[in-house]
Formats: sequence, structure tokens, C-alpha cells
Amino acid sequence: MADCGCEETRNKLEDYLHGELPQGACGDLEDHFQACPPCCDERDVGNLLTEKVKSACCETAPEELKLSIRKTLESSS
Amino acid sequence: MALSALREAPQAGSLDSWLMTSSQSGDSESSPDFAAQALPFADQLYAAAMRLAKNPSDAADLVQETYLKAFQAFRQFEQGTNLKAWLYRILTNTYINLYRKRSKEGFQSAIDELEDWQLGESESLTRTSGRSAEAEALDRMPSRVVKDALNDLPEDFRMVVYFADVEGFSYQEIADIMGTPTGTVMSRLYRGRKLLRAFLSEYAAKEGYDTGEKEVGR
Repeated sequence: MADCGCEETRNKLEDYLHGELPQGACGDLEDHFQACPPCCDERDVGNLLTEKVKSACCETAPEELKLSIRKTLESSS
Repeated sequence: MALSALREAPQAGSLDSWLMTSSQSGDSESSPDFAAQALPFADQLYAAAMRLAKNPSDAADLVQETYLKAFQAFRQFEQGTNLKAWLYRILTNTYINLYRKRSKEGFQSAIDELEDWQLGESESLTRTSGRSAEAEALDRMPSRVVKDALNDLPEDFRMVVYFADVEGFSYQEIADIMGTPTGTVMSRLYRGRKLLRAFLSEYAAKEGYDTGEKEVGR
């Protein structure tokens, strides 16, 4: 288990998914993904989690708030 | 009134010291620029404020207050650096000083101190199937459920996940916004996402999707 690269891949996965791994290390992980469906699935779940969080957090500020900020800024200047 | 509250509140980060020493009025020469540069971020700041304050009325107050503070401190902003991150930093500090309930912090640091294995075994290396089932369940998860699960995360974990996954900020940028070391950001991101995944799996299991995951203690 430890020598097939899964453990290292899992340890680095979050950094990989968040663009925090150096290029060379990304290559190693990507090679591993090619060969390892479970790690591939883990990566997909990780990416999906990011997508779901992103699409759940897309509120827009109410117009009246934007208006009131403008007013505040104008009256403060 | 809010500014005096800030002055009296316990200080949480270095931002506060320069906010307090910055001129509180009369930055008129920078005002047109400020509105033009900062107002386009209102939607994003509001979405982040909703993660912090959890309700529209407090979120609106928080964003309003953030803009006022940012405007007053705008001379301190170094043009050419990341304005959005700067605004988020003010938002975070404003929230901490004006809204955060002391009582929450016990829970938060309790999670910081947990060992990884205590957060459950969603990363098990021995499991070789069932991931696709989890991905499928995740894919079908309604946004409302994801939002609720995010709200259930301790605040600092929730915000690290938000800054990393929604805004795509780097660990270093998040560390600067939240006034924590990058190691803390990393650990909170891993743990926050792990908990989130566990919450969502719990929900999916309740709703009868099969994710191949077992419930994780909260």
C-alpha cells in the first residue's frame, strides 16, 4: 500500500487540488492518477466538492445595500 | 458608533493597529478611486459576509461597515496589490471585532487540536470502491444542503474553505486575510473539507443515497 504511491498522493491531494504543489510534484501525482482509479476517484470527489461549494456561495448583494454603500461613501467624502 | 466599538474591542490582528492609526476622516482625495475600484466586489463580499454572519441583515451591515472602514483606510492600501484580498481582510477583522461570539471559540480550537484520525476515515486507503457513488451523490446534492453543511463548520474552517474554494485564494493570501500562519490555513482547509464531506455524506445517507461513506462523529 505505502509503496504504490497512494499514501503520498492522498497526503498531497489537497495541495494539488488547490494549486499549491510545484510543477514537478503535480506530474508525479498525475502519473499516479493514470494508474490508480481509487486515487482518481478521490481527486474527482475533491474537485466536485470545490464545485459544489462554489455554486452554493453565489449570493449577490441586494441593490438597496449597494445604493446605501454609495450614499455612505458620498456623504463621508 | 461601530468604529468606537472597534477601538474598544480586543484586538485580533495587525490590521487593527493600522486601522486605528489611520485617519478616520477626510480622505476625500482618494474617494472617487475607491468607489470605482472597490464597489465591483460588493457581491463577493456579500457572499462571504453571508458565510460569516449567516443571515441577510447582519451580512448587509457587515458589508456596509467593511466599505466604510476600507474607505477610511484606503490611503494605506498599496495600489497594485490585491484589493479584493485587502477588502476581505477588513471584512474578516470587522466581523471578529463586532460580531463574533466568544462562546464559539472553544469548539473551534477543540477541532484544531483533534488528531486527523478523530475526524473520521474518509481518506481510507483500503477502500477501493464506492468513490464514484460518493461523487454521484455529491453531484446531486442541492445547494441548500451544501450551504447548511458549510454553516455547520466552525467559523475559521468555513472561511478557509470559502476563501480557497470559492475565491481561489492561495494559502498565503488566506493567511494574510485571516491573520494566521499558512500551516494553520492548510490544516483548517484539509479538516474543513473533510468535515464538510462527512456532513454531506451523512445527509446523503439520511436521504438514502449510497455514498460508500460511513457517518463521522461531529
